[in-house]
Amino acid sequence: MTLVARLLKAARTPGSRAGLTRLGCLAAVLATVGLLPWLSGRDPALTVLRARSAEQEATEEALDAIREDLGLGAGPLSLLGNWASGLLRGDFGTSWVSGTDVLPSVVAGLQVSLSLMGAALGVALLVACALVAPVLVRARGSAGSLAAMLVALPEFLLATLALLVGGVWLGWLPTSGWVGPQYMVLPALALGIPAGGLLGRLVADALPAVLEERWVELWRGAGVSQARISAAALRRVLPPLVPQFGMVAVGLTGGAVAVEVVFAVPGIGRTALGAAKSQDLPLLQGSVLALLTLGLVAGALAALVRRRLLGPALRDAGLTLPAARPVRAHPAVPVALGAVLLTCIGWGLLRDPYAVDTTARLQAPSWAYPLGTDGLGRDVLARLGHGAASTVGTAAAVCLVSLLLALALGFLPSVAAGSSDIANALPPVIVGILVAAAAGPGTGGAALAVALISWPPLAAHAAALVQEVRASTFLHAQRAIGATPFWILTRHVLPSVTAPVARHAILRLPGIALALASLGFLGLGAQPPAPEWGLLLDESRAYVERAPWAALAPAVALAVMAGLAVSLAAYAERDAGGAGGTARTGSASGRGRFAVAFASFRSPKESAQGSVKESLKEPVR
Amino acid sequence: MSHVSDVNPLLDVRDLVVRHGTRTVVDHVSFDISPGETLGLIGPSGCGKSSTAMAVLQLRRPDSGEVWFDGQELTAMDERRLRPLRQTMQPVFQDPYGSLSPRHRIRDAIAEPLHVQGSWDRTTGPARVAELLERVGLDPTHGDRRPHELSGGQCQRAGIARALACEPKLLILDEPVSALDPSLRAGILNLLAELQERLGLGYLFICHDRALVRHFCDRVAEMRDGRLSSS
Repeated sequence: MTLVARLLKAARTPGSRAGLTRLGCLAAVLATVGLLPWLSGRDPALTVLRARSAEQEATEEALDAIREDLGLGAGPLSLLGNWASGLLRGDFGTSWVSGTDVLPSVVAGLQVSLSLMGAALGVALLVACALVAPVLVRARGSAGSLAAMLVALPEFLLATLALLVGGVWLGWLPTSGWVGPQYMVLPALALGIPAGGLLGRLVADALPAVLEERWVELWRGAGVSQARISAAALRRVLPPLVPQFGMVAVGLTGGAVAVEVVFAVPGIGRTALGAAKSQDLPLLQGSVLALLTLGLVAGALAALVRRRLLGPALRDAGLTLPAARPVRAHPAVPVALGAVLLTCIGWGLLRDPYAVDTTARLQAPSWAYPLGTDGLGRDVLARLGHGAASTVGTAAAVCLVSLLLALALGFLPSVAAGSSDIANALPPVIVGILVAAAAGPGTGGAALAVALISWPPLAAHAAALVQEVRASTFLHAQRAIGATPFWILTRHVLPSVTAPVARHAILRLPGIALALASLGFLGLGAQPPAPEWGLLLDESRAYVERAPWAALAPAVALAVMAGLAVSLAAYAERDAGGAGGTARTGSASGRGRFAVAFASFRSPKESAQGSVKESLKEPVR
Repeated sequence: MSHVSDVNPLLDVRDLVVRHGTRTVVDHVSFDISPGETLGLIGPSGCGKSSTAMAVLQLRRPDSGEVWFDGQELTAMDERRLRPLRQTMQPVFQDPYGSLSPRHRIRDAIAEPLHVQGSWDRTTGPARVAELLERVGLDPTHGDRRPHELSGGQCQRAGIARALACEPKLLILDEPVSALDPSLRAGILNLLAELQERLGLGYLFICHDRALVRHFCDRVAEMRDGRLSSS
């Protein structure tokens, strides 16, 4: 009872209302996992029958017996109850396909994945140090924009490239399996480089502004050594970034799925994906639960570290970093990348992506086939062009849906803040697995999965803007002339919120397209023979030794897309700063709120939990 | 404490109380203003002057007390009944940019009260806006600009023009010149005095500059810790 009373009391402050939303979202995610067998709607009895005893005839009685056995006859609530009580007793259920206990497979997968992630974290730390060191030595500047783009490559792409270069062309390292430590090198590199790049970039972007703070000058004047100043500056930079480090760790769990698939590592991610594809829902539930727990533990650890680093300063919320100055590539960079991409797409769209020419299989690039042909003799350029149209088209639809949702929910700041935290903790791949298990793999399911996690950052941005507009005096002036709430909403609040949030949504388009491609790569999105970039990369892996160009074309296209995403994000940040300077909204804390816009302009996995939460507090007025 | 004046005051505030949480920021304040009269409200910052203004305007509903305006009691009215009356009592805020939407042209901001009222006429409307611009001493070309393209003084004039578009009887001037350059203050104050003479407006003039208030106001009420100490 006291707990309920305390919760009710806590619900009155906006900060903890966001906390309740967070709890609610988490419960919803868990319930979704628990209800998967019921949600999937399709009759799994047939799958199970085939898997267990192929020779048995699929009579109605046999199917009924299996349904009874699986507990599918009961309603969703009792299903959820059984699953939850089983979990509490340590019973993860029985695999539908193999009929064995789920727990041992989950534990075995988890062990492999944890050692892989440990190695990847080591790689990540090395990469991060390499990026941060020059900034500390030169005391200004930042990690180059080239570094920023290199690390924006998604894990599945990097894994394919590592496989191609390190394993196939150079032949130095084994490319599949999990037998000895040498099997860990390539997967750890593929998983660690993007994570380390992200960590390094966050620190390197924040450092120059810190090094220009007054105390650095003072310390230098007092003769403190450069090394001690560097250490103090790092100590100053880290606490506000720690929540984002937690996000990076969450990203590792999502990235692990792709990397484990590429290198055939028997980890928890591959187990989850395999279970989703074979409709083995209990195994899927167990492994997704393990992945979610990993992510949550990482987040909790990050919060703990932050608390230890900050101490009482955390309560006062007084310790904020000066605005980071991310490197902005020359405007020509995104323009050039966009032009290259558009040319390829335009050219490819004029050609036929489905025409199969078995006499011209796996041909090298030539005038007839500028990017060569694939295993069925289809034109790679044409498939690339048409793939872009469908990938970008789907991404645009996802963007639009997220934008509309964000605008609607932006008026409920606590919902926006809480759900954005949970969405940040869910890698798109895991959501994609869940959606695919419930609805079957397909473009629609992939789009739904990406949409589910792409609206909250936009909603947090919209909520911050709504609060800023609401707090400004000109809304008082509107009420004073007798304007109705509807008039104020449609003439003043919506127009000033829609434009910046829409711009934000558009800038997220490449990131959303990459997420869709990663689902396609894992077979959770568009299905063959559709020309989808992720799927193209996946299909070409089979004959990568004989026709590397077929894999290289979609890989380069995806890399260009990633570069576009990063360079556009940097411009978005400047945009947000500029808006803060010119729009005189008369709110004293306006400057602080634009910092939110700032935070939420970053790519999904970077989006800072802490800063959004902090700036969504009630206006001071 | 309240000043006993003419038979029919334009605004009669009785025992106004505003609380923020447990703190009483306006504590049983009473005053009245007659047509064509300026009441100065003076006091240190944080003493409750602006809270009084917001409560009189019903932009923040008072916790108790009565606000009689033009023979009607406002505090008991619901928002729907209050809305048509709001235009007869207009605020001018301290921040010259604050009362104008940064996204709208000055011309549209001044025309907005007419749109809200439903009295916008496509043939006579633009002329009315031009007339208002001229009356507050702005050039007609200023109408095409946005707030951030004007100086603070010009913006404050635009804010006054917007208030005048409502054809008010009372202006609540919440530190209308404190944010302005001293050289611009006289211009705005002269404009306000001239408008009062021509239109017979009542003013509640909130300020923290004693000399200015003495010079500009007919009567002065001093506020301290939420109470009126003299009138």
